[in-house]
Amino acid sequence: MEELTATHFLLLSAALFIIGMMGVLTRRNVIVIFMSVELMINGVNVALIGFAWEQNSMVGQSFALFVIAVAAAESIVGLGIIMALQRRIDTIDVADVRQLRE
Amino acid sequence: MLPGLETVNPDLALLTPHLIILGLALLLLAIDVIVPRWRGAPMAYLTIIGYAAALVATLLMIDTNETTFNGMFRADDFSVFVNIIVLTAGILSVLISINYMTSRAEPGSMPVPEYYTLITFSILGTMIVGAAGDLLIVFLGIEMTSLAAYTLTGFARHRTTSLEGALKYFLLGLFASAILVYGMAWTYGATGTTNLTEIATELTAFDTAGGVEASLLLAVLLVIIGLGFKVAAVPFHMWTPDAYQGAPTPVSAYMSVIPKTAGFAAMVRLLVQAMAPLRDEWTIIIAVLAVVTMFFGNIVAIAQTDVKRMLGYSSIGHTGYMLAALAAFGASSDLNDDLSVTSLLFYLLAYAFMNIGAFAVVTWLQDRGRGVDVEDFRGLASQSPYAAVIMTIFLLSLTGLPPLVGFYAKYYVILATVDADLIWLAVAIVLASAASAFVYLRLIATMYFSQAEQPAPEGSTPFLGAGLITMVAGTVLVGVFSGQVIDLAQEWVEALTVPF
Repeated sequence: MEELTATHFLLLSAALFIIGMMGVLTRRNVIVIFMSVELMINGVNVALIGFAWEQNSMVGQSFALFVIAVAAAESIVGLGIIMALQRRIDTIDVADVRQLRE
Repeated sequence: MLPGLETVNPDLALLTPHLIILGLALLLLAIDVIVPRWRGAPMAYLTIIGYAAALVATLLMIDTNETTFNGMFRADDFSVFVNIIVLTAGILSVLISINYMTSRAEPGSMPVPEYYTLITFSILGTMIVGAAGDLLIVFLGIEMTSLAAYTLTGFARHRTTSLEGALKYFLLGLFASAILVYGMAWTYGATGTTNLTEIATELTAFDTAGGVEASLLLAVLLVIIGLGFKVAAVPFHMWTPDAYQGAPTPVSAYMSVIPKTAGFAAMVRLLVQAMAPLRDEWTIIIAVLAVVTMFFGNIVAIAQTDVKRMLGYSSIGHTGYMLAALAAFGASSDLNDDLSVTSLLFYLLAYAFMNIGAFAVVTWLQDRGRGVDVEDFRGLASQSPYAAVIMTIFLLSLTGLPPLVGFYAKYYVILATVDADLIWLAVAIVLASAASAFVYLRLIATMYFSQAEQPAPEGSTPFLGAGLITMVAGTVLVGVFSGQVIDLAQEWVEALTVPF
C-alpha cells in the first residue's frame, strides 16, 4: 500500500482551491459564491495541515485553527450583508444587483 | 518530537498604542449599553481623544525597535509610522463623520455607537498589520481591518446602493483573503516557518544554493494577487468604484486610506521584510502592476460623472504611484539610500490628508442637501468661495502641484524609481499625473466657470469645518516639513532588518 505523503495533502488542497475558485468565477447565486469561497479556504487549511504534518510542527495546525475562526467571523458579516440586501430587493442573484453603474 | 510549549512573558508596554485603541473600542461598546444618552457627539469626542492618546503613545515609541510575543509583534519604527498614518486618518475620518451622521444625507438613520466602534477596530487591525512579525499576525490584522470595512460600507442600510457596494466589496475581499492565505500557506510550506525574519533567513539560504523553486514563485504570486485586491491594483480593482460610490461618504474617505494602508503595510512586511531575497522576481511584477494601475485609474476617472466614483478611480491611480514606490526596492547596495519604502510611507501620509479632504468637501455639500454629481459643484465658487478654495487646494495637491504635499509625495516616488534605474517607471508616473490633471481640473473648472443652478448651500457643520482646516493645514505643512517626515520614514531600514 502506498504511503501517505505531503503530496497527497497538496493535491487535495489544490483541487479544493481550484474547484472553489471556478465556483466563484462562474456562479451567480450569492450564497453559492460564498460557499465556493469557503471551499477555497478549506483547501488552504488542508495545505496548512499537510505542511505541518510534513514538518512535524504545530505551527501550521494552529494557523489553520485561526483561519477557521476568521472564516466563521466572515460568514457572519457576509450573511448579514446578504440578508439586509435581500430584504430590500428580494434577490440573491449577483446579476440583479446592479444599481451602481458608470 | 513536537517542540515543548514554552511560556512567554510578553512586554505589554510595547503594545501601548494598540492597547489604548482596543480599550477604546470596548469602552465605546460598553457606553452604548450603560450610558445611552452619550450616543452621538460625546462618543465622537471620546473616540478622537482615544486616537490622540494612542498617537502620543506612538510618538513616544520612536527608536524603540524591540520585539515581543516570540517575535510575532514588532514595535519598530515602521510600525510607528504606520500608526501615525492610520491614527491621523482616523481622527480626520471621525471629524468628517459627526455632522454627516445627524444630517439628512442618508435615508433612515445610521447607528452611531457601532459606527465609531467599527472604525476603531478597523484602525486596530491596520496597526496590527504594521507591527506584525509573523504571517499569522499579518493575516489576522488584514482580516480585522477588512471585516470592519465591509460592514461600514453597508452602513446606510436603508439605501440599496450602499448594501450593493458592501456585497461586492465583501465577495471580492473574501476571495482575495483566500488567495492571500493560500500564498502564506505555501510560504510556510517552502520555508518551514511563519516568522517573517526567519523566512528571510531561509530564503537567503535557498538563494545562495541557486535557482528559485516553483512553489516559492507560486507563493509570491498568490501573495501579490491577494494584496493587490486589498490595495485596489488593476486588474484586481473591480470592487473599488462600486464600494466608493455606494458607501456613506465619510466611509469612502476612510476606506480610501485605512484599508489601503493595511494592504501596503502587509506588502512591505511580506515582500520587503520576508521575501527580500526574491526581490528580482517580485519587483518586476509590482512595477508592471503599477504602470497598468496608474494609467487605468486616471484615464477611466476622466469620464465619471459621480464625484465619489471619480475619486474611487483616482484612488486606483494613486495606488499605482504607491506600487511604483515599492517596485523601486532593492536598487542600491546600501539600504540607507533606499527610498522605496520611505516614499511609500510618505505618500500614504500625504494621501490621508488630501484624499480625505476631497471627500470631506463632498460631505460638506451633502450635509447641505446637495448630491454627489459633478453637476452639483456648478458655480460653487460664487456661492461659497471658501469651500471652493479648499476643494481646489485638495484637488491641486492630488494632481501634484508644488508646494502642496501631493507634489512632494510624487517627487520622492520619482526619486526612488530613478535611483532604481527604472526610468520608464518615472516617465509613466509623470504621464499618468498629466492625465490625472484632466480629472481634477475639470472639477475645478466646474466650480469656478459655470453658472450655479441650485440655491446656495446653507447650514452649520462645526466639526467638519475643524476637520477641513486641519486637512488644509496638513496638505500645506507636511509638504513644507517633508524633510523631517522623510527622515522618520527612512527609519524603516533599521526597523525591518532586511537581509541583504
